[in-house]
Amino acid sequence: MQFGHRIVERSLDHYKAVIAVSIAVTVLVALAAAMPSLLPRAIPWLHGIEVDTDPENMLSADEPVRVFHDEMKRRMGLHDMVVVGVVREDDPKGVFTPSALRKITELTDFAAKLDGDTEFGRRYGLKPGQRVLQPDIISPSRVDTVEPLPGNAISMHWLMKTPPATQAEAGKILAAARRIPFLKGTMVSDDGKAVALYLPITEKKISYQVYRALQQKAAELGGPEQFHVTGLPVAEDTFGVEMFIQMAISAPLAMAIIFFLMMVFFRKLVLVLSPMIVALMSVIITMGSLIVAGFPIHIMSSMIPIFIMPISVLDSVHIISEFFEKYQATKDRRATIQAVMDELFTPMLYTSLTSAAGFASLALTPIPPVQVFGLFVGAGVMVAWVLTMMFIPAFVMFIPARTLENFGAKFDPSHGHQDAVTRLGRFLKRLGGGTYREAKPILVAGAVVMAVAAWGISRININDNPIKWFSPAHPIRVADRVLNRHFGGTYMAYLAMEYDEPPFEARDFAGELVGRAKRRAESIRELADAVAAKAPVLASGAADAYAFFDALKTAARPDVDRTDDEHLSAWNAMDKFLDRESARYDELMGGTDKFDQAKTPALLADRMKAFRETAAIALDRVARAAENAADAKSRPELLDRVETSWAVGMFQSLAIAHRTDETDRAAEAAASALLAEERQRSEVFKRPDVLAHMRGLAKALIDVGVVGKTNVLTDIVETVNRDLHGGDERYLVVPPTRKAVGSCITQFTSGNRPYDLDHFVTRDFRTASMWVQLTSGDNRDMQKVIDAAAAYLRDHHAPVTLSHKWFGLTYINVIWQDKMVTGMLESFAGSFLVVLLMMIILYRSALWGLLSMIPLTVTIAAIYGAVGILGKDYDMPTAVLSSLTLGLAVDFAIHFLSRGQVLYARLGSWEKTAPAVFGEPARAITRNIIIIAAGFLPLLLAPLVPYQTVGSLLATILLASGVGTLLLLPALIRVLEKRLFRARAKVMGVTCNCATCVVSAVVLTAAVAINAYQFFAIRITTLTWVSLAAVPVLALLCGRLSRRTKCALQPPAEEVPHETPVEL
Amino acid sequence: MKRRSNCNEFPRRAPRGACLLAAAVFASLLGARLAAEDKPAAPADAPTVEQIVQKTNYVSYYLGKDGRAKVKMTVTDKQGQQRQKEMVLLRWDAQEPKATDAKTADFQAGDAKFTGEQKFFVYFKSPPDDNKTTFLVWKHLDKDDDRWLYLPNLDLLKRIAGSDKRTSFVGSHFFYEDVSGRNVDADKHELVKTTDTYYVLRNTPKDTASAEFAYYEMYILKSNFLVAYTMYYDGNGKKYRTYTVNQWDKDAAFGYPVVKKATMQDDNLGGNTVLEYEEIRFNIDVPESLFTERFLKRTPYKFLE
Repeated sequence: MQFGHRIVERSLDHYKAVIAVSIAVTVLVALAAAMPSLLPRAIPWLHGIEVDTDPENMLSADEPVRVFHDEMKRRMGLHDMVVVGVVREDDPKGVFTPSALRKITELTDFAAKLDGDTEFGRRYGLKPGQRVLQPDIISPSRVDTVEPLPGNAISMHWLMKTPPATQAEAGKILAAARRIPFLKGTMVSDDGKAVALYLPITEKKISYQVYRALQQKAAELGGPEQFHVTGLPVAEDTFGVEMFIQMAISAPLAMAIIFFLMMVFFRKLVLVLSPMIVALMSVIITMGSLIVAGFPIHIMSSMIPIFIMPISVLDSVHIISEFFEKYQATKDRRATIQAVMDELFTPMLYTSLTSAAGFASLALTPIPPVQVFGLFVGAGVMVAWVLTMMFIPAFVMFIPARTLENFGAKFDPSHGHQDAVTRLGRFLKRLGGGTYREAKPILVAGAVVMAVAAWGISRININDNPIKWFSPAHPIRVADRVLNRHFGGTYMAYLAMEYDEPPFEARDFAGELVGRAKRRAESIRELADAVAAKAPVLASGAADAYAFFDALKTAARPDVDRTDDEHLSAWNAMDKFLDRESARYDELMGGTDKFDQAKTPALLADRMKAFRETAAIALDRVARAAENAADAKSRPELLDRVETSWAVGMFQSLAIAHRTDETDRAAEAAASALLAEERQRSEVFKRPDVLAHMRGLAKALIDVGVVGKTNVLTDIVETVNRDLHGGDERYLVVPPTRKAVGSCITQFTSGNRPYDLDHFVTRDFRTASMWVQLTSGDNRDMQKVIDAAAAYLRDHHAPVTLSHKWFGLTYINVIWQDKMVTGMLESFAGSFLVVLLMMIILYRSALWGLLSMIPLTVTIAAIYGAVGILGKDYDMPTAVLSSLTLGLAVDFAIHFLSRGQVLYARLGSWEKTAPAVFGEPARAITRNIIIIAAGFLPLLLAPLVPYQTVGSLLATILLASGVGTLLLLPALIRVLEKRLFRARAKVMGVTCNCATCVVSAVVLTAAVAINAYQFFAIRITTLTWVSLAAVPVLALLCGRLSRRTKCALQPPAEEVPHETPVEL
Repeated sequence: MKRRSNCNEFPRRAPRGACLLAAAVFASLLGARLAAEDKPAAPADAPTVEQIVQKTNYVSYYLGKDGRAKVKMTVTDKQGQQRQKEMVLLRWDAQEPKATDAKTADFQAGDAKFTGEQKFFVYFKSPPDDNKTTFLVWKHLDKDDDRWLYLPNLDLLKRIAGSDKRTSFVGSHFFYEDVSGRNVDADKHELVKTTDTYYVLRNTPKDTASAEFAYYEMYILKSNFLVAYTMYYDGNGKKYRTYTVNQWDKDAAFGYPVVKKATMQDDNLGGNTVLEYEEIRFNIDVPESLFTERFLKRTPYKFLE
């Protein structure tokens, strides 16, 4: 190749400059990346290293689900929490002993003082504004309780104001805590063996400081209780720290092993050094650029070095391998390297381009960290390619000729190669022969593997859980297991329920209001008549006026456990009337306060009549005012207008009748009360039926099995209702009226922690959130909960229109996983097509192009088949590795096929070519497999599971793609030999062979369609139609193009040097 | 130009927040006919710390023999959500044999103590859910207060026993103790400084376990012993809670200084509570018998409207 040849030539001419520039660039990038961290103020515009381990960032910040999550967190006053589990399992009393509770109190008080605004907080690394939000702490010493006492009394106090002195008191605290549904299974385990402290923090990123401070304090407090500090923010921060350790240890360790193996294969330090330097420089330049460009190091981007290293070593190994083989023939390092580079230029260019394209296609995945990862690995591959093309030849020039004296395969003119000498050589030789003889059985075996893989893929289990990124023995995983054993679950998801108010229709609303006003007047009339009817009897049984009014009030009162809001309101009006009358009893009796069993009820009956009539007038005024306001734009406006106008008419009519007195005030109050109720109409979460609906939904979620606990407004109302009724468990229900629910809520907010209510409902009572505690953070478990909720809501309609939307980190994980699975699939399909297209162009043949994709396809199928069969979860690292497969497997195929073509052209038949291909090219491929696979074995020892996954899957990928390349490709070539090589000499351009052209066109169209679909989010049906229309057009074009005169007749000799990929 | 009204607004430059220990709701019920009204005490006859403490306590909680006020409470939480309550408060003082005039005379004499028991009756007008809810408090100095609560919607009358005084007053940022008065003997008092306008008292609890604060500072107006600001500090020395009188006035009938508007802000909780007082009246002869359980269920409208 002219171009490649020239690059190498220049590099060889100016080898000193090449080396100097490469090193200078690397050092500069490294400095630019490191400067802000080393000297923070030196160059202010440079970005320093930032670490981002927040799984939330798998979605971009403006992703609707995250926007909603943040919005709801703000509205419901929710914060990220550090959770401390205090556990004692060997004592039946658990942690409810005086000494354990003293420690819990001390630890809580310590946590409450972690405030960056104070000297104390700064000692633990907190900055001003950062703190543990102490009022929101959930701990036995910070929550309150309502204790029923004899004599219709209750005591409202802190659950544990001071640690108890005796075991009996400690036991009482446990009993009291267990009575509170909100605490049971959340703060205290049922058996009392564990207590969980929830420490909300101002921002996620301080969790590591808080974690360390708490660890220190816990160590100071000592056993026998165990202290487990955990919580998602802690897990994330800890992951960040360990990720760095991982990068600092395993990447260099991998390099060391690669280096060692290369030494074993090539036995020349100076030469082996160059691929290591290239790999190192590629990593430094790529990671440096990433940091300088201002991208944080995310769990994904932390893996960039691990991906770049094997790919950059890959090319170098081919060069050294070839150099190793050829050097002794000429003993001229310049001529040898030039020849090697000439031969390898095209395969290397294409392997690099395909790898880069494969990774770059990840930029179309809708997950920002994956996009960054894809782009930078893609760029890194190209950096490695440039360095390989220029740095390695230049480096070779530095090596003194005498150092290479004994380097490489001994040249034996009679054999040309040393194939049979090494064990590897002998093995490959036999393998090559085998593929020729047993081509068909191999292909059948391949087909069987594919079939098994397909079955395995169908069983694949899509799941992820950030906690499981830690190995099972990690303290965080241990804490996770222990706490989820004792509590209702440490994984939080929230279901937001929002009232979808139907659009305001003034006329309809005014109509309804008129109806309700009439109904209220009717209810008051009924009640007044009923009370008036009983009055004579009650009077005969009363000793004095006070007793008489008491009896009347009792008679008027409905059964509050069974009544409805309408009757409660009517009673409210009546009761006010009676209170007023009793206060001016002397007036009623005409100046005396003597009680008269006959006269008093009669006089009162007149007043009662006046009252209900005036109330009816007042309510009628309200109804008329509502009709007049029926053109209002909103409910508040309509009510405001009614409010200001109804009383005017009322006062006028009353003034005429000279009847403004206490009775009228009571009647007016009835009308005012109705309007006040109307204003509260949209406070749907006070409605008993809505609370019951939430209870039903919560129960349905518990039935899923993975939900250990739910907390919902209904629980709060029920608990208050029970405690107000002396702790009677029969009252652990929602009271029957909206007003009574309102009273329970008022009582709750009169306690020590009124703001706790805000976590469950907004003050307008139009939005509520249900806390769902899961014992597992697995996405598939969260999915089950989501499905169960959806199923329940399908079958059970809420009494009002509610929209249900999930939020919380456990839910967000499901969303990004969803995006990742489909995103990865699409971007993989897209890059598969792009690579296929590149292959077709490289070989000017659809058949060769497809052939080169075989190892890749088999590898992918085998890996994901194995993942499915072994039951391993398809998680984030597993998904990302598919792109690495694209990089590696195609590499091997390109090298194998390109070299095969060259050798075939020289040797004339596959029978003769196969052994040759199984010489040096196969050895280079095998060495690559061994070096890289072994190089990443240290990852298996990593404490972080994603790295282990990468390590083990990398070995599998290499093995599978190696097998795919070395077994399937030769077997296929053997079977398809005629078809593959027949047209070789004739077909010069992609457009000249009609079939190739049509296949290219289809692939091109599909590739464009898939990428456009991902990138521009065009609807898939639109794309399908456009694509279907494009294909015949392109096919026709192909037909035309293949009949061009240029394509008519091609003497092979003329065209080959310029057009075929490989020089002859 | 019109004569400046006697309605006072505290200057903003005063130490951010400042506060009074008690006051809030019931402070408005007090009032004092202060003979030496606006004349600052001459250095020669500067009061002792003990005198300042007692006079302040008197002005804050013990003026008049009884009183009433309509209070509008606006609680703003840290999310910025607001809720309002409207209530009418009645106060009755155990007379400690002395009549109002005698009390005033004691106050002026400077050495009297005002630590008698009191009773409070609270009637909630709104929000609608709380309408007709009533609440009764018997304030004791040496033990927990007695409280009773009547919830009409549930038809429940409960005695609330053994309750901590430093807990939220009906879900606001005020504590019961802020409202009903902290026992002056519970703290050690020192006069930190005297400015042109204020006496600044630092109060440290004798029993540190009894309160969540480490100490609090009161800015007391020299002219009439009204507490203008109180700031609470925690064990870290951080100010976390501030009471501010935003506006005060002189009672028309008796000349008592009355708080018209006050704010309690709690930095730990976030948000604040504002109390606004209207229809403040003193010495209305409210009978002691009204401060009993039976009137919780039978609204005494006569004293409430």
